[in-house]
Amino acid sequence: MLSLILIIIASTFFTGIIIRVKSLASGRKGPGIFQPLKDVARLFKKGVVYSETTSFVFKIAPTIYLASVVMAMLVVPFGQSKGLISFNGDFIFFAYVLALGKFFSIISALDTGSSFEGMGASREALYSMFAEPAFFILMGSLALLTGYTSFHEMFAALHIGSYITYALGILGTFVLMMVAMIENSRMPIDDPKTHLELTMVHEVMILDNSGFDLGLIFTAGYLKFAIYGALVVNLFIGLFPYQFAIPMFFVIQVVLATGVGLIESFMARFRMSHNAQFIFVLTSVSLLIFFGALLIIGKFV
Amino acid sequence: MIDVLLITFLISLFYVAIANRIMTYLKVLAFQGVLLFVVVFLQLSEINPVNLALILLETIVFKSVAVPLFMAYVLKRNNITREAEPFLPNFVSLIIVTFIVVITILLANGVEDTNLDKIFFVVALSSLFTGLYFIATRRKIITHVIGYLIIENGVFVLSLAVGNEMPMLVNLGIMLDIFASVLILGIFLNKIGDVFKDVDVDQLSRLKDH
Repeated sequence: MLSLILIIIASTFFTGIIIRVKSLASGRKGPGIFQPLKDVARLFKKGVVYSETTSFVFKIAPTIYLASVVMAMLVVPFGQSKGLISFNGDFIFFAYVLALGKFFSIISALDTGSSFEGMGASREALYSMFAEPAFFILMGSLALLTGYTSFHEMFAALHIGSYITYALGILGTFVLMMVAMIENSRMPIDDPKTHLELTMVHEVMILDNSGFDLGLIFTAGYLKFAIYGALVVNLFIGLFPYQFAIPMFFVIQVVLATGVGLIESFMARFRMSHNAQFIFVLTSVSLLIFFGALLIIGKFV
Repeated sequence: MIDVLLITFLISLFYVAIANRIMTYLKVLAFQGVLLFVVVFLQLSEINPVNLALILLETIVFKSVAVPLFMAYVLKRNNITREAEPFLPNFVSLIIVTFIVVITILLANGVEDTNLDKIFFVVALSSLFTGLYFIATRRKIITHVIGYLIIENGVFVLSLAVGNEMPMLVNLGIMLDIFASVLILGIFLNKIGDVFKDVDVDQLSRLKDH
């Protein structure tokens, strides 16, 4: 329950901080931290325009997309307090409920019949396909390391003690943050500010969505970032008491948001053909995490 | 700490697999030299000054400074283009290197030997195979030398895997390294002919009947 509240609070400022950091880095003052929230509130007041070529799939897809993200949010724990839902193997549920949402956003993009949106959908499918093994190998190694298979028990048993667990924690943070960047279509993979349909990935898929539906998709994006941030926080807080853990949660979320903003300010987007190999690097790195986990538990000396 | 350094070494192999420019390869080689020095420094149980000086000479001076600088000089002097020009796309290279690491982990898991430090064994074998792979799939002669140096780094790590008091093996490593430098020089001198042939072609194109 606590994690739910904290993630919702974090999602209100996460994207705002990214945008603010990007504006500051480029020498502008930039909009306020809560501007994305105001945008969404404005979109929620609007009606929706549907193209005549679309079917019911296009109408239900944004709702399902947001619902899948909310469902995924429910299983994320916070330190020693469980998520609202917690069962063995819930990290698989987490990954596939997000994949379900992604599937619906892909078929709704295909439903519009626009060639650009079909291209974006194909890219999105390819990238999430490559990101999936990275996430599973990472979570699998954590499960192997701790001997549990639910998020809550895994993170609770994961005490960071020796230098190698620090190394694994840092590598895990890297993989999780990069998976978050891919899931949210942010900079090294996809440029949210691009204005050319040919170079877009996620933006081109939501070109036909308007008003309320667009608001739902934006909200889901903000929540997703905060969810992955919460997973990263969980790697580090372990069993700290709440009076330390809660401030740490916000500090880590702000640091991550600032980091994402800085990366977006100082890096150019990769060429489309380089994206696949970049994403596969995550799988290789998570394989090394697996290797490190084997070393720690002594299966491999 | 050694485990972390060796894992960093493996990550540097992945990085080589997707790097595009020869200068990046050289930077990674220099970085690997520093990593190897720290690993040896932490690993050796008793270090006498002579031994330490030899290791310092081999890892820092040779691997990290002299060889990359010399190769950069060769690159610049012969106007070799910056791109590595592999036969296979980088993405395939990355997948193959990943598979190499997986296979060596499986292989090392099957070895039953208490004297062998497995993590050293994995890193050594995977960098041996990765070096071989680079030699097989890169077009330029200078990238072949870089692949050879990666193999040589693997041999160095392998010599650490078997024990921790082997001045003889360290000396052997140095011998190999010097041999590598000679090989670089030899290939460089051999290939100078090719380079001049290119230059000749350029000059020939300027010869015209007027």
